[in-house]
Amino acid sequence: MDNTLTRRAQRTIAYGFLFFILISMATPFVWMISNTFKEQYEIFQLRPTLIPEEPHLRNYVRLFAEFDFARHFLNSAFIAVVHTAAHLFLASLAGFAFAKYNFPLKNFLFLVLLGSMMVPLYTIFIPLFVLVIRLGLVNSYAGVIIPGVAGAFGIFFMKQSMEAVPNELLDSARIDGATEFRIYWQIALPLVRPALAVLAVLAFMTSWNDFVWPLVVLRSRELQTLPVVMAGMRNMYRNEHGVVMAASLLSTIPILLLFLVLQRQFLAGLTVGAVKS
Amino acid sequence: MASVSIGGGTSNTDEERGLRAWWSRSQRKVVPYVFISPFYILFIVFSVGPLIYALYLSMHRWPGTGSMRHVGLGNYTYLAGDPVFLKSLWNTVYYAIGAFLFILPLALLLALLINSTLIRLKSLFRIGYFLPILTSTVAATLIFLMIFNNQFGLINQGLALLGIPALKWLDEELVKISVLAVATWRYAGINVLYFLTGLQSIPPDLYEAAQVDGAGTWAQFRYVTIPQLRPIALFVGVVTMIGSFQFFAEPLILANGGPNDASLTLANYLYRMGFTHAKLGYGSAIGWVLALIIFGLSFIQLYLFGAFRKDD
Repeated sequence: MDNTLTRRAQRTIAYGFLFFILISMATPFVWMISNTFKEQYEIFQLRPTLIPEEPHLRNYVRLFAEFDFARHFLNSAFIAVVHTAAHLFLASLAGFAFAKYNFPLKNFLFLVLLGSMMVPLYTIFIPLFVLVIRLGLVNSYAGVIIPGVAGAFGIFFMKQSMEAVPNELLDSARIDGATEFRIYWQIALPLVRPALAVLAVLAFMTSWNDFVWPLVVLRSRELQTLPVVMAGMRNMYRNEHGVVMAASLLSTIPILLLFLVLQRQFLAGLTVGAVKS
Repeated sequence: MASVSIGGGTSNTDEERGLRAWWSRSQRKVVPYVFISPFYILFIVFSVGPLIYALYLSMHRWPGTGSMRHVGLGNYTYLAGDPVFLKSLWNTVYYAIGAFLFILPLALLLALLINSTLIRLKSLFRIGYFLPILTSTVAATLIFLMIFNNQFGLINQGLALLGIPALKWLDEELVKISVLAVATWRYAGINVLYFLTGLQSIPPDLYEAAQVDGAGTWAQFRYVTIPQLRPIALFVGVVTMIGSFQFFAEPLILANGGPNDASLTLANYLYRMGFTHAKLGYGSAIGWVLALIIFGLSFIQLYLFGAFRKDD
């Protein structure tokens, strides 16, 4: 009896704490959504309202009319899609090579690959910017995409799943006269589709949410991505919280939708680093 | 891609058959290098080159155009006496320690609770805690900018309900705590997932054996859970440390690195020097200091957790 009582008490405390944290975590989202439908004075009001008194869509209209939101949304989408496609191709190709061939210096090259993940972005930040200027890539989508397109992590990740592709399949394709690239493209790649999906959501989200590098590369406003423009709104429209919140919400929705559809891939992708250790 | 038909349209000459045979044999020797080359070319051009160039720049004074002036280790000795740099270094260390003390214990506690037999609705909590990381740091910080507002911010209004006077969350005294709050909101959930992965990989028979030996809940936690969580704790520790040493958007958007540089990080100061003040040499020196700290701390953590021990 005593035991079940303490167990019940423990359970109540545990649930209480978990729900308290859950509500704390959810509040910023709820507050953001609620404020997108409010007039400025209502946000400033001393008694916060969860449901707007006079809900309206003017913040959204202004976002599109005055801030060219659609253009920046498309910039972000274009960069993220191209980055994701190119990253998947290069990572799976190199991962295939590391998993399925033996070649001199392979171990050394793989060690270099792992070591490359240690280079901190900010250390190379200034010279990288100088380089991008010299290459004429400044203020272009290419300048945003190219430097980070062949991430070592993606190669490492694809190597793991490429190793599960049976060698017999590859060999029988070789007997049929297929080129090595064809073997990669038509036999190995379709077999690792689940891993590609995991890497895709990870790459897309990283690129979509990226801030610092696009901030320095994209100089003209019409090329800028959502995070860059939103960070700028903080200074220009310091008090336009409704508009800023509408931008924050709309910029988060694509990732949230992707998460709803591909939940398993997201969770796998974001914890994959932990599993490997 | 590599299926070039050597010799053009006419086929079946002896020479061509020989070439084909040679090609199909040597293809497998060359092809892996071709497949991995994009990474190494990009790595050398966009990482190794800049890393060395950063070291070179850090020994020069250069406003981005015109000629460079060699100053030896002058930038580094100047850093040692630069009060803003020292402040940003202290702030960065503060964030790293704060992330360890705020985020990791909270994440571990949440993971232990979710993993315990007391709790159902496990995926509700798992997913709920995880959602904030889907936002960009920019969007997250903008939301918190509003929540921390002195007058109408949600936190101060909540405090008012409890009869606590409003606090100035974005002022010098509290701004670092506010930055950590944004980071906790975004990163707690992912660390919960990491810890859960670790907890679920502990073999259940270890607990059964401990129970047979008469170990209570605490003893099981102390002698089974904690040692078994070591690898995951190492991973989480390194990731958290490297991440918190590179905070950039949170202090920038929350308070522009201020007030009075109170929230400025090394990354913010590097950006300010390199891009706002066009001191590319000085900024690069900050970058190398940051790199040395990160390498050093990673090494120490790996060493402390015995990652270099042969038996692991």
